[in-house]
This record gives sequence, C-alpha cells and structure tokens, in this order.
Amino acid sequence: MNSIVRCLKKDLLMEFRSKTAFSISFTFSAITTLAISLITSQIKLDENIHSILLWIIIFFSAMNGLSHIFTREEEEGTSLFLMLNHKPESVYLSKLIFNLIYFIILSSIICTMYLFFLQISPSNIHFFIISVFSGSTAIVSITTILGAMVSKAGGKGSLLTAVTFPLLLPVLWTSIKMTESSFKTDVAPYLGNAVFLLAFSGLVICLSYLLFRFIWMEV
Amino acid sequence: MHLYKTVFILMPVSVYMSMIYTSPANMLGESSRILYFHVPIAWVSVFAFLTAGAASFIYLFSNKKNMINHIAAYNSAYLGIIFTILTLISGSIWSKISWGSYWNWDPRQTSMLVLLMIYAAYFALNASLEEKDGKEKISCSYLIFGAVSMPFFVFIIPRIYPSLHPDPVINAEYKINLEADMKATLILSTASFTILYLYILNLMNRLKKIEVHMEELD
Repeated sequence: MNSIVRCLKKDLLMEFRSKTAFSISFTFSAITTLAISLITSQIKLDENIHSILLWIIIFFSAMNGLSHIFTREEEEGTSLFLMLNHKPESVYLSKLIFNLIYFIILSSIICTMYLFFLQISPSNIHFFIISVFSGSTAIVSITTILGAMVSKAGGKGSLLTAVTFPLLLPVLWTSIKMTESSFKTDVAPYLGNAVFLLAFSGLVICLSYLLFRFIWMEV
Repeated sequence: MHLYKTVFILMPVSVYMSMIYTSPANMLGESSRILYFHVPIAWVSVFAFLTAGAASFIYLFSNKKNMINHIAAYNSAYLGIIFTILTLISGSIWSKISWGSYWNWDPRQTSMLVLLMIYAAYFALNASLEEKDGKEKISCSYLIFGAVSMPFFVFIIPRIYPSLHPDPVINAEYKINLEADMKATLILSTASFTILYLYILNLMNRLKKIEVHMEELD
C-alpha cells in the first residue's frame, strides 16, 4: 500500500511540475471542441451526432494523454529504478489510479466545454454524468495497460491508437448509446450498460493486474 | 497426427455434400450453399483467436517459458487473420445476394471487422517490438486481452443490437434450426475446416521449430 502511495505521489508531483500531459490533452480537447462548435454553429445536430462527436473528442484526448505516464518512465530512464524498488503490481495500480484521476478531471472539462460551446443540455444530467464516468473508467482501464505495452515499443507514433481502438470499440459503442439517451430522454433506459462498462473495466483491471509483471519486467 | 490427415477425406466429402447432396434452402435458393463455407470459416476465425489466447496464457504462466507456445500463438493469429478475411469476403458476397449490398454495417459484419482489426493491431504491435523489449511476453499479453474481449464482439453485441442476419445457428434454445441434411452438412463442414486449421497450424509450428533449430546450429 505504501509503495502504491509513494509511486502515485511521485507521478502527481511530476505532473504538477511539468503539466505536460494535461496541457497537451486539454489544449487538444479545447481546440477540437471549438473547431466543431465553429463548423456546426449554423447547423442543428441530432442528439446521436452530439454523442458521437463528444466521444470522439474524449477518445482522442485519451490517446494523447494516457500513455504518457509510461512513455515518460521509458524516455527518462526511470523505469529501471521503479522495477528495482517497487513491485510491478504496485506500479500498475499507482499508474491506474493516476490515470483515473487525470482522465476523470479531463473528461469533466471536455464535457463542460462541449455542453457550453455547442449549447446543448442533457435531459437527464445524472445519467449523462454516469455515462461519462463509466465510459471514461473503461477507457482508462484499457488504455493504461496498452500504454504500458506501447511504451516498451518506444511509444511509436499512432501505435497506441491502432492497438487500442479495436479493444475500445464495445466501450465507445455502449457509451455513445448511453450519452445519446441522456440527451434525448429524462429516463435512463440504458442503465444496464453502465453496469456492463464497469464490469468490463473490472475484468480488464483484474487481467491487467495479473499480466502487468510480464509487460513491465524485462527478465 | 493421423487425425489431421482425415482432412484429406473430410474436406472433399463436405464439398460434395455442400454442392450436390444437400438441397438448396427454400427462400435463398442455390446461394444458400455458401452457408457451408461461410459459417465454418467464421467459426475457425473465432477458434483461432481462442487458441492464440490459450497458447499465450500457457506461455506466460508456465514456469518454463516454452517458445513453442509463443510460436503457436503467433501462427494461430496468423491463420486467424486469413480466416477472418475469408469470412468477410464470403459474407460480403452473400450479403450482396441476399440484402443487395456488399456492406451493411450489420452487427455481425462489424464484429468480424473488429476481430480483423484486433488481429491487425496484434501484428502491428509485434512488429514494433524488439527482442530486448520482451517482445514475446508483451505480444502474448495483447493476445490474451484480445481473446477476453472477443466474446463481447462476437457473441454479445450481435445479440443486443438488431441484425439482418438470420437467427443464430446456435441460438437461445441451443438448437440448430435447419433441415436434417443441411444440419449434417454444416456440422461436417465445420469439422473439416477446424481440422484443416489444426493441420496447417501444426505444419507451421513444426516448420518454425525447424527454423529455430537451424538458427541455433548457425
């Protein structure tokens, strides 16, 4: 437990000092939201289009920011230090918690900006929040472990997007349906989907916990 | 070993039964014969994925990291991608005949496309890694993730969203809703393609083992 807290504290401090990942992801999402808002200002979009656009922004923001946590360790050569001093499972859990905190904050900002600039309001705000939270959790759970794999390949360009997209498709598919229904109606017909997303995240986290040592350790 | 060689008998028999012995389906006519190739190929592409996942799991969690399991996982994924492409081609031809267009974004068509993308992503990741990065372990881990998420695409999503596909061959009642001759042909054809896959996989594994031994001798 101490090991997880120390790793997490180190990551939070490093991010707080450099603000690299957050700045890039935030700028990317702000530019994308503004661009969409500017282009579609004269058109009335359907709820399903809004939902798709919102999740595209969230997905690419995740691709921009979530693998950074592992790529940084490889680039700065600190991964060896972590390998020697911490159990792989502690490293994984600390990175997962960091990414969860980071991405929940980022997706909250993205959603607020999107709702503000595109001037829409969900019919069921609670369900909208649930859909974004459960979808973001599932994205983080997959992207964290795949980010670790890609960082070993030197974090090559768009490899993370290529590797992550097929596995994230059921998550995006389900999240888009949920967000769309939160825009359309004040009842929550897809509440079971939120349970599916959280169960899927749980499964991926358990599997990642088991497999992380094979990805992280070089011997 | 002898089991694999039964493919030389089973495959011609299943082709004969598919093309001549079985009567065409009532509504679809002669085009329904594609069923005896399309469904078994789709089954093999899913089976290849599960085999690759199982071989990866054994490779990672066995104390003695036996390279043959990693080789089997790689070769199974290699065969899987070929069978997935064949599934998409045969499905598109059937789709054009039955529904009027080659591609309809039907949940089942989409799920096979996603399967193809997972295989492609695996090969992209595998090609990007070097031996010193722990290539075998990382690519095997990815295959396990693929195998675990695959049921969501292939078995769950097509049953949740409305599909143009007919009632699944294995449906909620666990029954095959086909005439007796069609059912027999489909089962035989599925067995033939499965054994063909296992036969080619075995040949590929043996070939790779010989290559590894040759490299060691050099």
